[in-house]
Amino acid sequence: MTATTATNATSATTAAKPILELDNVSYSYTKGGKKVLKNITHAFRIGEVHSITGPSGAGKTTMLSLISGLANPTEGKVLYNGKDLAKQDRYDYRSHDIGVIFQSFNLLPQLTVAENIMLSMDASGKKFDKPKKELAVDLLEQVHLPAEYANERILHLSGGEQQRVAIARALSYGPSVIVADEPTGNLDMGTQEDIMSIFRTLAHEQGVCVIIVTHSPEVAAASDEVFELAPLRRR
Amino acid sequence: MFVVKNAWRNVIRNKGRNILIAIIVAIIAAAATIGLAIRQAAVTARETGLENTTITAQISFDRSKAISELRESSSSSDSSSSDSSSDSSSDSSDSKPDFDAMREAMSDKQLTLADYQKYAKASSAVKSTYYTETASLAATDDFQPVEDSTSGSSSSSDSSSSSSSSSDSSSGSSDSSDTSKSDANGNGGDGQQQPGGQGGGDMGGGMGGMTMTTGDFSLVGFSSDEAVSNAENGTFTMSDGEVFGYGTDSDGDVIISKELADFNNLSVGDTITVENASDSDTTYKLTIVGIYENSTESSNQMGGPMRSTASDPANAIYTSVSTLKSLGLDADSTTETTDSSGNTTETAAAQLNYTYVFSSKDDYETFVSDVAKAGLSDDYTVSSADVEQYESSLVPLNNLAQFALTLLLIVLGVGAVVLVVITLFNVRERKYEVGVLTAIGVKKAKVAAQFTFELLVVTMIGLALGAAGGAIASVPVSNQLLAAQVAQQESQASSQNAQFGRDMQGPGAQGASNSASSDSSDASSSSGSSSSDSSSSSSTSGSSSNANASGANNAGRPNGPGGMMGQAVSYVSNVNATVNLKIVGQLLAIGLGLTLVAALVAVVFVMRYEPLQILADRS
Repeated sequence: MTATTATNATSATTAAKPILELDNVSYSYTKGGKKVLKNITHAFRIGEVHSITGPSGAGKTTMLSLISGLANPTEGKVLYNGKDLAKQDRYDYRSHDIGVIFQSFNLLPQLTVAENIMLSMDASGKKFDKPKKELAVDLLEQVHLPAEYANERILHLSGGEQQRVAIARALSYGPSVIVADEPTGNLDMGTQEDIMSIFRTLAHEQGVCVIIVTHSPEVAAASDEVFELAPLRRR
Repeated sequence: MFVVKNAWRNVIRNKGRNILIAIIVAIIAAAATIGLAIRQAAVTARETGLENTTITAQISFDRSKAISELRESSSSSDSSSSDSSSDSSSDSSDSKPDFDAMREAMSDKQLTLADYQKYAKASSAVKSTYYTETASLAATDDFQPVEDSTSGSSSSSDSSSSSSSSSDSSSGSSDSSDTSKSDANGNGGDGQQQPGGQGGGDMGGGMGGMTMTTGDFSLVGFSSDEAVSNAENGTFTMSDGEVFGYGTDSDGDVIISKELADFNNLSVGDTITVENASDSDTTYKLTIVGIYENSTESSNQMGGPMRSTASDPANAIYTSVSTLKSLGLDADSTTETTDSSGNTTETAAAQLNYTYVFSSKDDYETFVSDVAKAGLSDDYTVSSADVEQYESSLVPLNNLAQFALTLLLIVLGVGAVVLVVITLFNVRERKYEVGVLTAIGVKKAKVAAQFTFELLVVTMIGLALGAAGGAIASVPVSNQLLAAQVAQQESQASSQNAQFGRDMQGPGAQGASNSASSDSSDASSSSGSSSSDSSSSSSTSGSSSNANASGANNAGRPNGPGGMMGQAVSYVSNVNATVNLKIVGQLLAIGLGLTLVAALVAVVFVMRYEPLQILADRS
């Protein structure tokens, strides 16, 4: 795949270096409450597709929130490029460095496909060498959507199509980490394969670190590395 | 930039809701514009109305206050006192107030010329001062007062009540009140204080000019030309001779009315001889240097059977204060009177009427505070007929301004609540949007700014529409409202008149109802005759204010027709409630304020939202 996006930042030369690390991370929603995650240590490297699996309630989505900077760990540290995420501007981190594909897509229904994608571009504050609209169409092509979808309202799209738009949006500002929460949850096998191929292309050809939270064995099998979260002991 | 662009897109996108908000804001803005315009018009009318006009003021003794203090010991009611003074038959009623004690206490309170001058010096705001002193004189065989047929009965009532009227005069003169009252009701000063308290009538207590309850002539001494031109009987023109001088070399020079001159067949250069009103052995010789004709004579006709000859303007003899002083009839001299029971009372020979002139209302207000500092006690009030007159003409406008303020506050309160609620629902509705925006890394502050900007765009559109609508509507609406207020005022006044007219039929209850029926009552206090009513009301409308300041200023001599000015005030019936830049500015400030209040709510909500929470709730 030779699609041109604004991402082409780094190549696979730095493949071995971890871009994102969890360092002995624990998390509980309430102070002193039940720990959803306990002492997790893991490293994510660019150019690889990582899967996080585990049974329901193991803390998969929580871990994704920590990685994507939506929450801060109760204990331990999340390191991005070796720097503690808790000490950075997490809004900047979210808008520049990481692209999150939410389980429920979190697209704005009243906007068109292109507008949703361009919103993220605007939010990143980055400069682009092409008009944003053209970039958006390119991105649609990259996620295997026809260009005429650009002016379609989100509500008129199917789940699989919305999923692709969400991926396109996450890619739009060229983040070095892509996080996806159950990206294939409600898709048929064919679409699932297609989406996984998109992720693999991103990781292997564009040097992006792709992290997928899933409980699908197929997805786990298709990824380069699997991190299995063990269920916490009930107290 | 991205925030503004996004906000603008959202404004376009949510047309329906934004149009709704814009309409609400437009209504608020229109109401606020009208309210502000009315208030400004009222303020302007009040401030500019008396800005560059001369104002006169008097210091008067607040008798109602003093009397109520004095009477705390004796528990007699107000009505019984005024009854007993106006109608001696009720004097025999059980709880009789201690009149003598009260008179004595009140006569001590009388300010002397020196006092008045001291207060004039106490304030730099006083532009000039003048004063008149009025003494009474009795007729001699050579020189008789003008009397028409009705005054025959008047003089008989005079003589019949002469025993009490001497004591009346003592109270009357010491109180320095009772403007243009005929003697039968002379002590109705008690009753008159009530209307006095209502505003315009208060000067009735202070102007104290013409109450000559005894005697046939009133000898009025003027301190200066200014005093002459403000003569209580109205302006006059000289038909022969010229006005006396004010130095001692002019002592004995007087001018008399044309009627009086014709009646006695006198001309300039003749001398007249008059008696002291209380002591027939003392006579005075006066030289006529001029004959005047009252140009506003009719306005002063008391009419009715009750009037006295001395209070007839035709029987007013004008001279300088210097003459009065040389005759020993000035306010600092005293005369002794002996009433029927043989008691001798000492009273001032003349009533002093001291007037302060100010070049503006501000100066008047400065003076009021200055004399208070200079030691004028609470028992005295400084009152200005001009100011009161003008202010009473502003009553409907003030009511309207009050109404406008209330309207403004209600509209703003409701508007703020509505705007906040709409914003609240708006933000809650768009919670998901906030979550998505923050999740993709838009800072909360930017999201809040976007929401604020959206609201601002919509409210500014509404504000512009509302201001335009309000500007168009403000003049007709405010005049309509003012007309309603004026009509209400007038119907109130006329209903009071009607009530008063009826009550006048019952002599017994007269005093009480007189004092009770407030402002418009004093017009016909001497008699219930409609003729005096109409004459006085026509006189007032003739010389009194119309809305503009100049009109009110012309009425700067309301002491002429006595305390009747309160009756027929022509109210300010037209305001110039146009919308100017100041109002637009105020409106803009209000609009921004409301928007910021509403936006603050939005900001608080946006700041409280955690994207994770929102998105977690969603999925």
